[in-house]
Order: sequence, then C-alpha cells, then structure tokens
Amino acid sequence: MKKKTLALLLTVLFVLGAFAGCGSPAASTPPATTPTAPAATEPAASGIPAKVAPGYENIMRMVTNPQPDTCDPQQTTEFFCVNFMIFNRLAEAVTTGPGKTELIPSLAEKWEISEDALEYTFYLRKDVKFHNGNDFTAEDVKYTFERMLWPETGAKNQDFVDPIVGSDEVMAGTTKELSGVTIVDDYTIKVKLKVPFGPFIASMAAPAMGILDKEATEAAGKDFGLAADKTIGTGPYYFDKWVLNDELLVKRFDGYWDKQPELEGISWKIISDAETMRMMFEAGELDVFDTEFALSQLEYFTNSPKYANNIISGDRVGILYLTFNQQIKPFDDVRVRKALQMAMDRQGLVDALNGGRGTPRYGIFPAGVMGYNPNLPEIPYDPEQAKALLAEAGYPDGFEMTIAHDSSSTSALPRVELLASLLEDIGLKVTIDSMDSATWFATRAEGKLPAYTSTWSADYNDPDNFIYTFFAPGNTVKRSFNFNNPALSQRIVDARAIVDPVAREKEYQALEIAVIQEEAAWIPLYSVQHVFLVNDRLKGFKPSWNGWSDGWYYYDGLRIEN
Amino acid sequence: MARYIIKRILVAFPVLIAVSLILFVLLNVVPGDPVTVMMREHIKPELIEVFRERMGLNDPILVQFGRYMVNALRGDFGMSYKLQRDVSAMIREAFPHTIKLAIYAALVAWIIGIPAGILSAVKQNTLVDRAFMSFSLMGVSLPVFWAGLLMQYLFAFKLGWLPVTGYYSPRYYILPAIVLGWQSAGTIARLTRSNLLEVMKNDYIRTARAKGLGETVVVVGHALKNAMLPVVTMMAMQVAGLLGGAVMTESIFGIPGLGRITVDAMGTRDMPLLQGSVLFITAIIIIGNMVADLLYAFLDPRIRVE
Repeated sequence: MKKKTLALLLTVLFVLGAFAGCGSPAASTPPATTPTAPAATEPAASGIPAKVAPGYENIMRMVTNPQPDTCDPQQTTEFFCVNFMIFNRLAEAVTTGPGKTELIPSLAEKWEISEDALEYTFYLRKDVKFHNGNDFTAEDVKYTFERMLWPETGAKNQDFVDPIVGSDEVMAGTTKELSGVTIVDDYTIKVKLKVPFGPFIASMAAPAMGILDKEATEAAGKDFGLAADKTIGTGPYYFDKWVLNDELLVKRFDGYWDKQPELEGISWKIISDAETMRMMFEAGELDVFDTEFALSQLEYFTNSPKYANNIISGDRVGILYLTFNQQIKPFDDVRVRKALQMAMDRQGLVDALNGGRGTPRYGIFPAGVMGYNPNLPEIPYDPEQAKALLAEAGYPDGFEMTIAHDSSSTSALPRVELLASLLEDIGLKVTIDSMDSATWFATRAEGKLPAYTSTWSADYNDPDNFIYTFFAPGNTVKRSFNFNNPALSQRIVDARAIVDPVAREKEYQALEIAVIQEEAAWIPLYSVQHVFLVNDRLKGFKPSWNGWSDGWYYYDGLRIEN
Repeated sequence: MARYIIKRILVAFPVLIAVSLILFVLLNVVPGDPVTVMMREHIKPELIEVFRERMGLNDPILVQFGRYMVNALRGDFGMSYKLQRDVSAMIREAFPHTIKLAIYAALVAWIIGIPAGILSAVKQNTLVDRAFMSFSLMGVSLPVFWAGLLMQYLFAFKLGWLPVTGYYSPRYYILPAIVLGWQSAGTIARLTRSNLLEVMKNDYIRTARAKGLGETVVVVGHALKNAMLPVVTMMAMQVAGLLGGAVMTESIFGIPGLGRITVDAMGTRDMPLLQGSVLFITAIIIIGNMVADLLYAFLDPRIRVE
C-alpha cells in the first residue's frame, strides 16, 4: 500500500516536472493560449472560475503590496487604499473622464476665497456622522489640521498644512493651537494662509487630508491607523479589520451621508509574490488585479486572448523619467544633457516595455494634470544630433556613466537595460549598479545617485506637485538631481503664490519649457496606462483619476453580480 | 539532568547577545537608512532629521546597542520603525502561523522521509531505491520558491483542488507543508537509508537473522531503533531549517508568519523588528538543538551513563 502511495507521489512529481516550462516566472515568451479552467466551475466570458470564500459574496477582492505602514492618513505618504475609503476630505477630486478630474465639495459644502487669496472660509455639511456615531463639526477639522503639525504625532504630511498661519509654532511645539484656523460656528471654519498658495484647495483633496474624529482619534492614541476599530472616519466604508501581512478589509457604512455604495465591502489581500497574484486572479480568488503590483505579469495577460474582455485601463496621471546628477561631470554641461534627451526613443520604449500602452512625454506635466501643455514641442529622437552635441561638448568618444537601479523593483530592470542600450547607441559606456531598496533610497537622499529612472504620479491635481517636488531647493538635492539654476528654482517657489488660474497655467508652462527643454534638467520618457484585470463577476469598474497608486472606489455602478 | 538543562540555558544567553551584536554591527555597516526607505518616493527633506532624531538614530552605535539590550532584557523589544507596532506583539501574532506550518511540514517530512529511507535501504540498489533517492535529491535541491510555484500552478490553478493562498484551515496548509516538508523529507530519507545500511552490517543483526527472525522483525525491531538515533537528532535540528525555509514558503502562499516579517524588516532596515525576529528565531534554534541533545540522551543509554 505504502509503495503504491509513493509511486503515485513520484508520478505527480514527474508531471510537475513536465509543467516546469509553463510556470517559469522569467519566461519572456508567454504561453500562446491557456487551456480553459476546470469544467466544474460556472461558465463565464473568460472562464475564470468564481471561487468566492463564504462572506465575500458581495465584497470586491483586491490585492496590495507592500502592506501600508499605517492607515493613519497623516503618517503615510504612499499607501492610501484604506484611507481613501474610510475618510472624507473637505473636497474630493473625482474622475470625470479618462485622466480628467474635478474638485467637488465633500465635507465642505462650499468655500469662499478672499480677495487677497489669503483667507479660505469653508462651510461644512451639517448631516455628517462619523463611523462611531459622532457628529462631524468644525472642531474636527481644526483638530485634524493641528494634529498633523504636533511633533508627537510624527506626521509625514505636514507640508499640506504648512501654508497655514501659525504652523511653524505648532511644529516647533511651542503651542498646540494653530492660530491661522478660526472656528466661526460649528459648521463654518476660516483658514488663513501665510502667503497665497494656488494649489491649496486641490491639496485639501489629497488622501493625506482625510478628516479625523477628534474624540475617537484622541482616544485611540498610538493605535489610530493600526487598530481597525479605533480608526474612525466619515467615509462610505468603515475599517473592519487588518490582519498583518494578510488582509485589509473595509465594509459599507450604513450611516453614510451620501449615497450608499452597492458593494458590501472591499478587501485587499497583502501578497508579495507576483506569480502568486497572477494565479490567485486566474483561480478566481481576486476580483481586481492591479498589474502595477506585478508588472512582470502584464505581458502574459495582454497577450492572452482569453482575458481580452477582462482588461480595463486608464491613463496614469504620472510620468516615467530618466535623470542624472548635475553635480557629476559632464552632466553639468547642458549640451550633454540635451544629447541624452535626444538619445531616447520614447515610442520604442513604450512599445518594448509596455506593449504600446503609453504616451511619449516631452515635458514634466502629464495629461490629466492642470497645466498640461498639448502643444509642447517634441524632443526629437536623433542619435546623430546627440553625438554631434557630445562632440561639441568635448566628448566625441562618449564617456562612462552609471545608472543606479533599485533591485526590489523588478519591473524597472528591463527599462534600465533598454535605456542603457539607447545611451550606448550615442557612444556612452553605461554600467548598471543594482542596489537594494534601502541603499538606493539612502544614497539618493544624500544627493549621490549618479543617474536613475523612476516614476512620479500626481498626489493632487496641480503642476506644483510635479515641478516643486523635483526642482525646488532641498528637494532637488534629496532626489540626487542637484539642479543648479537658482533663478529658476526661485521662480518655482514663487509660482506657488500665483492664484489666478490663467496666470498660473501660463507660468507653469513657461517653467516647463525653461527647466525641461532649455535647461534639459531631466529626461521625460512617457506616461503609462494603469492596467487592471477585472473578474467577470465585478461590474462597472472604472480606473480612478490615476494620480495615486490607490484608487477611489466610490462611484455609481460598481457592483458584483454573482 | 536538571543541571544540564540549566547549563544549556545559561550558555544560550551569550549566544543571543552575540547574535544581536553581530546583527547590529552588520546593519550599521551595510548602506541604507530606515528613514529614507520609509519615505520612499515622497521624501521630504525637512523631515529626515526630525525622524532620525526621534528614532534615536543619531546616537553612537554603541549607545543604540546598549539601549536596545537594556530594553530587551526588560522584555521590551521596541516598536517597529515601519509598522509602528510593538515588536513582541507582532512576533506573538505571527509565530503561531509559522510554527503551525513548520509542524505540518515536519509531519510531511517524517511520514514520507522515514518509510522512504527504510524501503530504500531494504531494497538497496533496486529501482525502488533509485526512485526514492532521486526523489529525495530533488527535495534537497529544489529551491522552495520554485517548488512552491510549481505546486501552486498544478494543484491550485490547473487542477483547482486546493487554494492558491491562505491559511484558514488545514486544507490551506497542504501545499505549503508539502513544499516545505519535501526538503526535509529528502534529508531524512537519505540519512535513514545510510544509517540503516550501516547498522544492518552489525553482528547482532546477523545473530537476529541466525535466530530465524523474519526480515521485518529484524529491520523494524532490531536495526531501526539504532539506525534512528542520528535521524531523531536531525529531526529536532531541522526545526531551524524549517523556520528558515518558511520565509519563502510564507511569501508564496500568503501566510502571515514570522518569515515574512523578517524579510520585510530587512528590506526596510526596520532594526527593532529585524532584531526581535532574528533573536526569537535564534532562541528557537537553540531550544531545538537542546531538545535534540536531550532526546539523544534519552534514547541512547550510553550517553546517559556518560
């Protein structure tokens, strides 16, 4: 008997061996077609089985990686999956079309801006309750602003509240009260800024600015953002549970002030392996597979006719770029920088790396963000002209350079390699230096990375969020650009105070040409499409505005049909 | 016996301190900084110093180490830099998943490994022997993540018999336990086989056969008892191997155990969390080895006399 069992096991092993080729994560040529799934499951368009665990019949199942550090919106800068759904902001940025966004009133019904653009009056909604039943009032808004600045909070998003009068004193710990915020009555609050700040309302709609319940947040103390039941907001969903390294779950809040969502909840499984994510989706264990968590799997899906109807994508309001350190010779020479810009075959990169799902960019503001200039002159792909520029700069035979690569980002490596080969086409000798994440970030913060490629997408809909982040003094060092044109840097700082939308757009478009095209301070490459795979049972899924990595899943028509 | 155990426990402390010190030094030598990796793309120049100061990273390394050890001796392993939670609580939460996986894997290893080893020894140099030995060689050589993905592909995705990920019932543990246990099964099978072959050459086996005992009684009753001694030691020591292998297995099968915590902590230079989990794993390994020694003494009268 035992022998038989073992023989069976061996057989299984050999079968496994035969499958080895198909399961290879590194396989560059995906299998042409995938045989249909087990016949036992319900027939569906793609044949993805609908394998739903009890309790998840009406819950949208997604995946996220890495796990958020915390769900306290003030203490995290990148991981907003839960935050978006459990908090509201004073205003929300909603998607009105592909890559288009509009600011709509949320917890603030309306707002007024004074003549000198220094005073904002927010009129708050009166019918809003927090998940714990507390009423939402102006006191909560004031508390939210102040908590962001208190040293003991350890917030990472103070820059959002920093423009308000009195913020420096609160940050220094000399007072707890933010003098620039005045409560007029329970539902009216005035905010005074130090200097005019054009993107103020847009920044209030960023996920970092979720409004907290004073009472619940104070009571939660250090557990706020970590313990689901103590993390209270006003959003359409409440935070139901967080099992570390396993799952985040939010559920519909019956007392929501606006229309009830049709979904009963949203679950994010925390999965670190790209292959596992793909198999979970294919086995029917996920409703939405955001391929940005596993770009290595994108080609497999886009090449498979079986999944043609399951792909939903939207333009990412973000941009991929290559940059270099201007403190390192010869990147201090504008002719060299222009040569590098011309060495880039942007369409070729999009085709090779993203299956054509992307748009070449020649500036810093991508489509979908205010200030985007559709008439921006193209930077030509011209290796010959690039070589001539290098020769003119004194490098007829090219030079040696290094591109530093964060090895945790497996999807970036093919890009780095392709960029290196394009640079070698104009005569450079490129070394790729792979570093682990922590080393890469630390070296970059020291201003010492030689050159690298990365991506940035909008936190909120304003050009300031791009150009200030990269080229303002301080920022430019910490990102290893070392942009060295004090006059232009100052203009970028000054532009923040322009309030008139027309004048604002004009100045940012002028800055874009000056910094990116004339100074050639970095190399814009392209914007990608954010590709999702959606299970057959989920209907009405729309990619949100796509500035953030995490989406906004509160809109009409999103539902599950089992 | 009690004195022996106490001695072993006392020896364990310097080992733990040495491990912490080595880890501390290593983490300070390798490049990388917990603050910048925490802020990632959204780095804010004005906040870097604030956070370094708050996390005590501006103090000299020895001061940091001393502070850590003093707190650790009081049972306070600090807060995770990244996840802002109590390290002890995180380990307490994660460890049951890991130990469960390790136990299931050990069961798989024993249930497959021991009979396979015995059969191979008895049927030495036959097809059965070769098949079992190739099987165990595969187990020892195949990386866990590779075997894991293959199993997921076949049993969860292609055949749909088992879930791809999860840990909610024993069913979910079948694949990870096989993947993780296979490696140990291979080692155990090979060790059982070679020991059994060695023992079978002894005089007392010939005597047993001469008495006219059946082959089964000879093997199971006489040879196996002696052949299993090193195997038992190996099994106890394999706790360490299983905990190590659990790291990858947990990542692939989405089990929120100690392995995932440790790997993530390394990637983010989360010193308190990494220190805590490595110390904990070290302690488990020390205990595993101690149990192995005690078992040996218990099973082998000769050692007890000494």
